[in-house]
Amino acid sequence: MTRHASLGLALAIMALSAWGIYSALDWPLKSKLFPLVIAIPLFCLATAEALWVILGKNSAASASDFKLSEDQEPAVARRRTLLAAAWTVGFFLLILLVGFPIAVPVMVFTYLKVQGKESWIFSAIFTGAVWLFFYGLFELLLHLHFPDGWLFGGFGGF
Amino acid sequence: MLDAFIQGLLLVLQWKAFLFMLGGIFVGFWVGLLPGLGGATTLALMLPFIYNMQPVEAFAFLLGMHSVVATTGDITSILFGVPGEATTAAIILDGHAMAKKGEAGRALGAALASSLIGALLGAAALALAIPIVRPLVLTFGSPELFMLAIVGLAFIASLSAQGARGMVRGFLAGGLGLFLAMVGQDPQAGVARYTLDTLYLWQGLDLVPVLVGLFAIPEIIDLVVRGTSIAGNAPTGRINRGALEGVKDVFRNFGLTIRCGLIGTFIGITPGLGGAVAQWMAYGHATQTARTPEERKGFGQGDVRGVIGPGAACNSKEGGALIPTIAFGVPGSTSMAILLGGFFLLGLVPGPDMLTKHLPVTFSLVWTIVLANIITVAACFLLLNRLTALTAIQGHLLVPVVLVLVFIGSYTSNSSYADIIVTIVFGAVGYFMVVAGWPRAPLVLGLVLGKIAENYLYISVARYDFAWLGRPVVVVLLIIAVGVILFPAVQAWRARRA
Repeated sequence: MTRHASLGLALAIMALSAWGIYSALDWPLKSKLFPLVIAIPLFCLATAEALWVILGKNSAASASDFKLSEDQEPAVARRRTLLAAAWTVGFFLLILLVGFPIAVPVMVFTYLKVQGKESWIFSAIFTGAVWLFFYGLFELLLHLHFPDGWLFGGFGGF
Repeated sequence: MLDAFIQGLLLVLQWKAFLFMLGGIFVGFWVGLLPGLGGATTLALMLPFIYNMQPVEAFAFLLGMHSVVATTGDITSILFGVPGEATTAAIILDGHAMAKKGEAGRALGAALASSLIGALLGAAALALAIPIVRPLVLTFGSPELFMLAIVGLAFIASLSAQGARGMVRGFLAGGLGLFLAMVGQDPQAGVARYTLDTLYLWQGLDLVPVLVGLFAIPEIIDLVVRGTSIAGNAPTGRINRGALEGVKDVFRNFGLTIRCGLIGTFIGITPGLGGAVAQWMAYGHATQTARTPEERKGFGQGDVRGVIGPGAACNSKEGGALIPTIAFGVPGSTSMAILLGGFFLLGLVPGPDMLTKHLPVTFSLVWTIVLANIITVAACFLLLNRLTALTAIQGHLLVPVVLVLVFIGSYTSNSSYADIIVTIVFGAVGYFMVVAGWPRAPLVLGLVLGKIAENYLYISVARYDFAWLGRPVVVVLLIIAVGVILFPAVQAWRARRA
């Protein structure tokens, strides 16, 4: 997984920097100087990283950064990762469709019921508390405007 | 200078700023306690809330929150052996061992007292550094500031991962950050660069959605994957009985506390090293205080000095890390890179202005660290018994709340759904970087420094042509950058020879 992720990132950066160099060629010198100074070495480094992975030289280099827990079986971890991604994207789609004020309680309640297997009463109380926090802080206190969503207010918000 | 120092205190004590600081402390208190959320993540999450604040209020809020995260993180580390923060892992070795021996109160007392002393030491270092750093900074022009950005990036890229391979990944992440910073309208010629023909990208990538995605999404995924309560099965019961003994231990080992505090401050000042390094170096130093091999064996089995060392270093690094952030705009850690984003959101530019025009604001940061830590440690001692129950919060209760905060936080930066898409995209990037073992800090630093570096480079070339490369400070900084890049390779070569 580490190898695939590293290779994927390296290839993505190669593609990005190649596009960056190609696009910059048409710009005036003032505009293209910095992009070229950055994108050319970036492409070279990404190529080196990709070759390192492809040639099998995967060193145990680790970053001084947050590490994912390894307590779960790889298959379980993979399934739950996809689940987390689905919830994240699903929440976004819900916001697009019905807007924040409805999407927030719907998502919190559904998550607690489906993912957390909580009781109806607990889920309802917890959802109410989150919605009150959301409404009180963002709508009443900070006066932030949230659009109604595509279903009720048309295609806007971008 | 003294006037500004006192003015800084008065600014923090204004009711609004003080209330925001208390709010920040409240948030940081829980964030530190809960292993599911990191200090840097929360700092990123809270950035959108500072838009309408005055600088002093915003920093009282952000720094009040950030400077107490490590203190409460120690509690989770000691009680459950789960690091509340990445920077509080070293304290587990002896702190959790003490908790298992029934000395949790003593360990917590020692950790809290040493944390407070460490934080005060770091704040004092920041205050003392200002008069020294000020004349130095005022002599810096655009070429020197450009080179400083390069040195900062070299530091964080080469030190945030191990080995030559890690360094390549660090530079790749940093380069990616610099590349992403170029998205938007070019400030010199007005060319729309890498905007994908969308109006949203004309003003460039907003820092908040990027940071929120990069840091929060991987942690949310990890919480879901773990699928358990945050701290697992926790021992409960009264734990405050030995706390006073722990405080006494700190004063019995006062020299060690000060030395470890200084280690933390020094590492904080050095860009790229970060808190995780500080605590382990302090722990290593604490083990060196053992006089006999038998005494040495006691470390890891519940020696209180193994708690005092990392406790002091972890908090003193914050004051230290603020020195290069404020004076040079070179953040010493991921959190400081995010805090640097806060400076820009508020229209403040780190550098000479922070040491002249905005000096009272700078001193207000010192006072925020001092007051926030005193308040937090006092609150921890008062709440010691009740704190244990809170670490048993189930992950599935936290995930929806954090997701709501993530999406609202990113949406409110430009009131555009595109912000949420940016968050999701960078969430995926952050996740794959974590999986691949690539450091995320250089990417943040590159993104933050990109625009500044380009502007300084442009001004330098426009004003001095290429003669700026021969300026003495530029040459020294160039040598430092090369030295920083070569250092890991030289270290590896020496290790192979030995």
